Amino acid sequence: MNASLHLNLLKDAERFSSSPIRPRVMIPLLAILSAAGLGVWWMLLTVRLGNAVHEKMVREASCAELKPALNQVLELRAREKEAYAALAQLGFYRASIIRFGDTLMRLPQHVPESIQFTELRVPPPPPMPPPDPTTKVQPLGPTNLVEAVTLRIAGRASSSTSSEAVRSLLDALRQPAYSNLIRKAEIPKGAFRQDSARGPGSRESILFEITCDCGERRFK
Amino acid sequence: MPPVSLPDSLTKPFKAYSDIVGLELGAGLEGGGVPAVRLRRNKGRTELVAAGFLDLPGALPMAPGGGDVPTWRLPSPFRAPHAALAVRSPLAYLRHSADGQAAAEEERGMAYRHAARQTAPEMPQLVAGLPEFQAAWAARLLPEGHRPTVCSIQVAAAAAIGGFAASPALARAQGHAVALFVFSASTSLVAFQDGRLVFYREHAVGMDHLRDAISSQMGIGPELADAVLEDTLIDPTPVIEPILRPLYRQIEISADYLLRRRKCQVEHFFVNGLTVGCSHWSRLFTRMMGHAMTFCSPLEGLDRAGQAVRLPEEVEKRAPLLMTALGAARTVLEDV
Repeated sequence: MNASLHLNLLKDAERFSSSPIRPRVMIPLLAILSAAGLGVWWMLLTVRLGNAVHEKMVREASCAELKPALNQVLELRAREKEAYAALAQLGFYRASIIRFGDTLMRLPQHVPESIQFTELRVPPPPPMPPPDPTTKVQPLGPTNLVEAVTLRIAGRASSSTSSEAVRSLLDALRQPAYSNLIRKAEIPKGAFRQDSARGPGSRESILFEITCDCGERRFK
Repeated sequence: MPPVSLPDSLTKPFKAYSDIVGLELGAGLEGGGVPAVRLRRNKGRTELVAAGFLDLPGALPMAPGGGDVPTWRLPSPFRAPHAALAVRSPLAYLRHSADGQAAAEEERGMAYRHAARQTAPEMPQLVAGLPEFQAAWAARLLPEGHRPTVCSIQVAAAAAIGGFAASPALARAQGHAVALFVFSASTSLVAFQDGRLVFYREHAVGMDHLRDAISSQMGIGPELADAVLEDTLIDPTPVIEPILRPLYRQIEISADYLLRRRKCQVEHFFVNGLTVGCSHWSRLFTRMMGHAMTFCSPLEGLDRAGQAVRLPEEVEKRAPLLMTALGAARTVLEDV
């Protein structure tokens, strides 16, 4: 029903806030503080970036100076590693030595007079498979940990009791005196035969061969 | 490209007011003090929170460049967030004007602030004007950052009328009434039709004229004039009748205008701002017009809260003098 009679003579510019926090003051102040804060942050960022770049350059220079020495150290370490590996390999070989000397020194007293040895040897182990060409570092020695060792005795028996003589030699090799070296001694099939090379007059001459299994040679 | 503007909600910092203190500047009251009334809107009702006459320097500057502006700090019960100031100044004006106010302002030779509003259809606008220097002075009275700050400056007559327009007295009269607003130096005469202001006149007779007449004709001091008006043994009618009769004649003319031109029969006559001599005013009015006069209290119909639940007796007695301060606050509260 009523029409308002509010005839307000106050200008908009004269309206103020009763709040102690005055937007008219606080907004520019906050804007200035924000800008100053951003400026300080930007300055700190620039300084820190400059320091980081300088440190990077110093470290790069230091790295460049140390590079030859580093290469030398790396090379020496590689050589050291190689030498240690060679020494270890030699150690393995030293540890894996099977000593035949004492055993063979006792052997003559068991050899009948009618027997003549024509060959007494330890045959080399079967050849190793060729190294893998894709492997970068080639091994310095054999990579297998065990190796079968045999002692091969070949000879000639020239008497009427040749076979008993050879049998007594074989039995002697199976005695406990040789068991520390020879685990098993046998005459391979076909290795006991007539010595045909001497002609028909030598019918009592027999060729024989004894293979002794000496156990395994361990590299460790 | 069309002009782009921000919405009002962003550009206007203060939108709705629910707690406001009204202050009357330049009141020059007999007993002193600046009339102050704090009103608050609570659940759709208007509450009176505080009322009184504050001991503040309320004298208006009467010339431009009138020195320093005092800074007011109100007592805590009156510290609403916002303040509506009603300025009573002999240089201010309120009148109907079809073509603005330039002529009057040029006559006075000073810059004016003015505000106009259409109060009723087919009526010239009601224009309020106040010298720029007085308005600027009033705007700086309450400092920023402290409660309250100014949200409205009104001329005193407009503020008082606005308060009455929102009062239950006008509602009881179904919006048809003639109201008098008695100030110290003048009396405003307002006619309402359907609650809208359709007629405004200012009569150059106020309470001070009655007091001066009593003082001079009865040979007493001006401070005793009010006592004479209240005294039942002395009849001051012969003294005040020559002063009131032209005013009542104006009321008669106004009522006749409403009846003839706007087909509005007025049977309710209200008087605001009168603290003494009501019986003499009423008796003379009844004799001349044949109608009763109703004397209004600006505090009528308001819920009370806080300090206003029990106002000092002195304030209750002088309550009609709060009509302008209360009107200033209430006009702002009602202006939604």
